[in-house]
Amino acid sequence: MSIRYKTIKELSYMLKNKEISNKELIEETFKLIKDNQYLNSFITLNKEKALEKASNIDNTSSLLSGIPIAQKDLFCTKDLRTTCGSNMLSDFIPPYSATVIENLENAGCISVGKTNMDEFAMGSSNETSFFGNVLNPWGENLVPGGSSGGSASAVAAGLVPAATGTDTGGSIRQPASLCGISGLKPTYGRISRWGMIAFASSLDQAGPMARTAEDCAIMLNEMCSHDPKDTTSIDEAVPDFTATLDESIKGLKIGIVKEFDLSRLDNAVVKVFEETKRHYESLGAEFVEISLPNISLSVPTYYVVAPAECSSNLSRFDGVKFGKRSMDPINLEDLYIKTRSEGFGDEVKRRILIGSYVLSAGFYDAYYKKAQQVRRLIKNDFDEAYKLVDVIMSPTTRGAAFEAGSKGSDPIQMYLEDLFTIPANLAGLPALSIPNGMVDSKPVGVQLIGNFLEEQKILQVAHSFQKSTDWHLKTPDGDKA
Amino acid sequence: MDKKTVTTISYLSRLKIDKNNEDKITSDLENIITFVDQLNDVSVEGIEPLTSPLEKIAKTRSDKVTAKNNKEIFLERAPKSNEDYFLVPRVVE
Repeated sequence: MSIRYKTIKELSYMLKNKEISNKELIEETFKLIKDNQYLNSFITLNKEKALEKASNIDNTSSLLSGIPIAQKDLFCTKDLRTTCGSNMLSDFIPPYSATVIENLENAGCISVGKTNMDEFAMGSSNETSFFGNVLNPWGENLVPGGSSGGSASAVAAGLVPAATGTDTGGSIRQPASLCGISGLKPTYGRISRWGMIAFASSLDQAGPMARTAEDCAIMLNEMCSHDPKDTTSIDEAVPDFTATLDESIKGLKIGIVKEFDLSRLDNAVVKVFEETKRHYESLGAEFVEISLPNISLSVPTYYVVAPAECSSNLSRFDGVKFGKRSMDPINLEDLYIKTRSEGFGDEVKRRILIGSYVLSAGFYDAYYKKAQQVRRLIKNDFDEAYKLVDVIMSPTTRGAAFEAGSKGSDPIQMYLEDLFTIPANLAGLPALSIPNGMVDSKPVGVQLIGNFLEEQKILQVAHSFQKSTDWHLKTPDGDKA
Repeated sequence: MDKKTVTTISYLSRLKIDKNNEDKITSDLENIITFVDQLNDVSVEGIEPLTSPLEKIAKTRSDKVTAKNNKEIFLERAPKSNEDYFLVPRVVE
């Protein structure tokens, strides 16, 4: 029996009914991965240990028990190479696992491998990885989005039912949209960042990527925990995210952002979005126009805050304690410079340089402090909006997947790819993307942004859509039976 | 943004810019800075900077030593080390 394109829930059912054994499921997964190597969605496989774990499953209480999961190569995995898509860490084997990896593995998940990604999560097309581009299974030479491109591609191709991702400015939602899957960035602080290789610490958040919103909820239940090792980890009770999925959305107020000028988007994308609105109306939701007056400043604000935090975080890569080291330096300073110049790729260097510039003496107030002040204005706008609506809805991306190399060499064009996703990171809000239509035979997604700690609500709104539509059942091989 | 500024921030970043790439990097940085310069038009007088979305609920923990001595585990991952130290080029003659 084929396991391809199955959800967590379906695979769990198959295991419980002994339609497939734990070991067969994992063997079959590795066969699928091997047969689809052309996607380049994995950097490192964990075959031996995965099969060993599958043969010795003792925890059968969890829905995730025995389920194969792909882990973004940004999470430290004990004794399993963790590269962050960079030459700098191409031989790095962590001595410990990230808290979120431990949580998932304790729930019975089987980590089958580490997925490809933009280098240090900096990119929106998976074209900056040291390990090469990832392909989108939906078409030839199409990018999967980024930075969690390998995770999105592997789930979209049906190799694994789910994967982990991280989202600093849209790195879960944008690839989910371009690959036709569901992906959730939780509230900042919901999931421990301990063991995640840091890019921009006040924005980074891990989250699930899967075929359905329901599977995202199942994953999220296990991924969240208060972690004393991460001072920004929230110490609040974690609800059962699956408990409210089936509640009606009748009377729910959905905000549409006046300032998101959809007339500048491709007509086909707008049409898909309008159809989704009509569908939600048929389910009893009510649309309310809201204003987020400072939202247009999100991308420039992000491109000050994120590079500033990146330049600080990435200063740890100096060739001394772990990672790459340049050969034959003249002195200690030369060791730092040569190691970093050889170890980092162009996009990472660009962002470090921008960060150093905006943090340097004389510019700090004009850029970094100013951006943080604007960040508060953006957050205040959201606070006001949530007095009027329950969730906010927008397209996830400006269009469907584009061809590799097609954004040219102007970095700003790539940065604008995250126009709709960045605001939720700046304000720390939970947001997800689910597939809601096709444009030129390629999937696109709709984004739902929730208020602080209200993952349950956006998952419920997403699930109600997926119960009554079939966009999430489409695969590159045709409709799922 | 000129080549001199790029040289300064490259040094602050401990990065060496490839000569062949210098023009492209300078113009990229120029474009990015021009793009973020639109923040200058916003009035933010009296607005407190927002450094983290969790400013109100972040908790501190008591300052107790919890880590074990993992010296060996970390030293063996270093590009160069002896049994006690990370090794770097000589800094004192």
